[in-house]
Amino acid sequence: MLVQVVGCSHHGASIALRERLAFTAEQAREALDRWRRVFPRVESVLLSTCNRVELYSAADQENEPTFEQVAAYLARFHGLEPAEVVRHLYRHSDEAAVRHLFTVTSSLDSMVLGEPQIFAQVKQAYQLATQQDNTGPLMHAVFQTALRVARRVANETAIHQRRVSAASVAVADFARQVFERFDDKEVLVIGAGEMAQETLEYLEDEGARRITVVNRSFDRAVELAGRWKGRAVAWEDLPQALAAADVVISTAAAGRWIVDRQQFVQIEARRFARPLFILDLAVPRDFDPAIGDRPDVYLYSIDDLQEACQRNRVYRDKELPAALHIIDQETARFMAGMYHRAIGPVIEQLRLGWQAPKEEELQRLLNKLSHLDDHAKDEIRHSFDRLVNKLLHPPLMSLRDESSNGIPRGLLDALARLFQLKRRE
Amino acid sequence: MLSGVSTICFAASYAIALALELSRLWFRSRVRGVVLFGFAAAGLLAHTAFLYYRAVQAAGAPLSSERDWFLIAAWTLVAAYLFLAAAYPKIPFGVFLLPLALLLIAAARFLASPQPSANAPALKAWGIIHGLSIMLAAVAVLIGFAAGLMYVVQVRQLKHKQLPGRGLRLPSLEWLGRANSRAILASLILLAVGVASGTILNRIDVERGVERIAWYDPVILSTLLLLVWLLIAMVVSTVYRSARQGRRVAYLTLVSFLFLVVVLVVGLLLSSRHWQRGSSEGGGRKAESGVPRAEGGVQRAEGGRTKTLIPPPSELRPDSSLPPPRSPVSLVIALPPPGGGRC
Repeated sequence: MLVQVVGCSHHGASIALRERLAFTAEQAREALDRWRRVFPRVESVLLSTCNRVELYSAADQENEPTFEQVAAYLARFHGLEPAEVVRHLYRHSDEAAVRHLFTVTSSLDSMVLGEPQIFAQVKQAYQLATQQDNTGPLMHAVFQTALRVARRVANETAIHQRRVSAASVAVADFARQVFERFDDKEVLVIGAGEMAQETLEYLEDEGARRITVVNRSFDRAVELAGRWKGRAVAWEDLPQALAAADVVISTAAAGRWIVDRQQFVQIEARRFARPLFILDLAVPRDFDPAIGDRPDVYLYSIDDLQEACQRNRVYRDKELPAALHIIDQETARFMAGMYHRAIGPVIEQLRLGWQAPKEEELQRLLNKLSHLDDHAKDEIRHSFDRLVNKLLHPPLMSLRDESSNGIPRGLLDALARLFQLKRRE
Repeated sequence: MLSGVSTICFAASYAIALALELSRLWFRSRVRGVVLFGFAAAGLLAHTAFLYYRAVQAAGAPLSSERDWFLIAAWTLVAAYLFLAAAYPKIPFGVFLLPLALLLIAAARFLASPQPSANAPALKAWGIIHGLSIMLAAVAVLIGFAAGLMYVVQVRQLKHKQLPGRGLRLPSLEWLGRANSRAILASLILLAVGVASGTILNRIDVERGVERIAWYDPVILSTLLLLVWLLIAMVVSTVYRSARQGRRVAYLTLVSFLFLVVVLVVGLLLSSRHWQRGSSEGGGRKAESGVPRAEGGVQRAEGGRTKTLIPPPSELRPDSSLPPPRSPVSLVIALPPPGGGRC
């Protein structure tokens, strides 16, 4: 075995199970530490995100942990019975495990295809395992290649280029088309919906700092403003807040429009034609759609954003075959490299095994022919070298050819027995 | 080798770069950005070589003829485009700027006179300031127009909830609005400098015994109108907050462009004393409006016959007594040709 992965993901495990098996950074550190003590000769990396928990391991055949051992280890760390989780776990080994890691790192196995966080999460998992001394040559090779493959997929396809969450589309695809910067913009949040929180996070990433919260309950507004480091405004002051705002995120869902066209026209004069970007994320809507026809107002409802998200999802799906082709290519290349690496020690032993008798025979012959000049002695040495190389050539070529599709265990065993080699994978 | 470079060479390069910019609307390509930048840069190189060759041939600086004025304005516009294309490679500025550059080149080739002007050495410095500042003011108005147009397109895309990847990828409205405001300010300052230096040139002419150009000369009048418009736009946007924000500032630049078109059309097509500034004699090609030119020469109808006032460039003699035409907007740099001038 080269490498295996045991774990669960959003494909086959419920969120409840994933939550029970998830590792915090501190738990992951402790888990890796325990793993090293239980399996000292097995390299490991633990990847835990909200959508998956996976343990990658690599070892030679004698030390390879079984699926049941890994499943029991994951379950018992969280105080669960292995029987509770084992049917929800999957196992891939060798080429399938490598392909799986490449697919995961390139965000092709994510719940939201092409989402960018997974790359950083894989990188952090690998770095943590390296810090904990759980990685070795095989894990270094497979994870470093996985990160390179993910970059290749990102560069050569457009799978990451279109955003697919409503909040990210709203900020990155629309708000950024209106405003160049957000640190000097007034952001007004109406209501306290979850999407407002998510949108605010994106806006804060873009630099938004001046946040005002309006809510029917002033206490709730104060609480939210405290959480988002903004200021709270009474519901009655909404018109003034609207007049001062550059970006509005509305999630009040009051059941009727909280601002209709007529009210907005009255506010408009106090805005001095400043562009206003309104994200009406409430269902039913908070803003009269007719407000979107006013000059310098850019009004987007949740439907507009979902439509954009759906278009982006279709676009990403179209890029999937190209991305999977890269994964296939890179997996084949990586595995060929791994197999060649696995037969390296046998080749080395074969060469060394033939080198010693060659040197003995050469020395014996040269001692007998001491009258020969240096040029003649060199010719004899070269002849011996060529003879050994020619004799070794057929078995080595057979070994290389066989190793391009996997480790040629039968051939390695035969060579080991024929030439009395010590096996070392 | 430089003599082989013609306006067709660089205009073709710009046209190909424009076609590549427009192709962004239909398909994606990894190499397109590099290729179109290469074509535009190659065109600018040929354009530079062409202007250099003309300057050497005319034994004077560029801007010494109406054609050069247009060609240098186009050169400046393309240089601005290349700068923006390098800074913002994903934004198709060329779609808006390259057509303007091509129009200037077309005007230079088919409408503007290639005759170099002659002027007294004393006027050289003021001439350079005058020609350069008015040319740069025109370029600033053109850039402002392109930014205004982009603003209008971007507003349309946003109102139709069009994702950036589906239409033209343009800068944000805030960026475009700022570009519009700066274009108005830059064109106002440059045009004011141009008009002031033109007034000084006029005064020097009077001292030299040359007849003063009246303020109501069509070219001067239209240029003053543009200046007044820019001044009004500036004052309005300073005093009224709503005029310097949102779409209104974009509209100001679009109207400025219309005024500039008037100035250029008046300069190219109408009769004006302005073209003869620097000479004690009147006449010149634009004094006879509606009379066709023969291959770059200037003719006047007299008693049913056509009399050649300025011969085509190929027939020009160093001892020609006729004054050359001057630049379109106001006048051009007056460089004294060596040995008394070629025209």
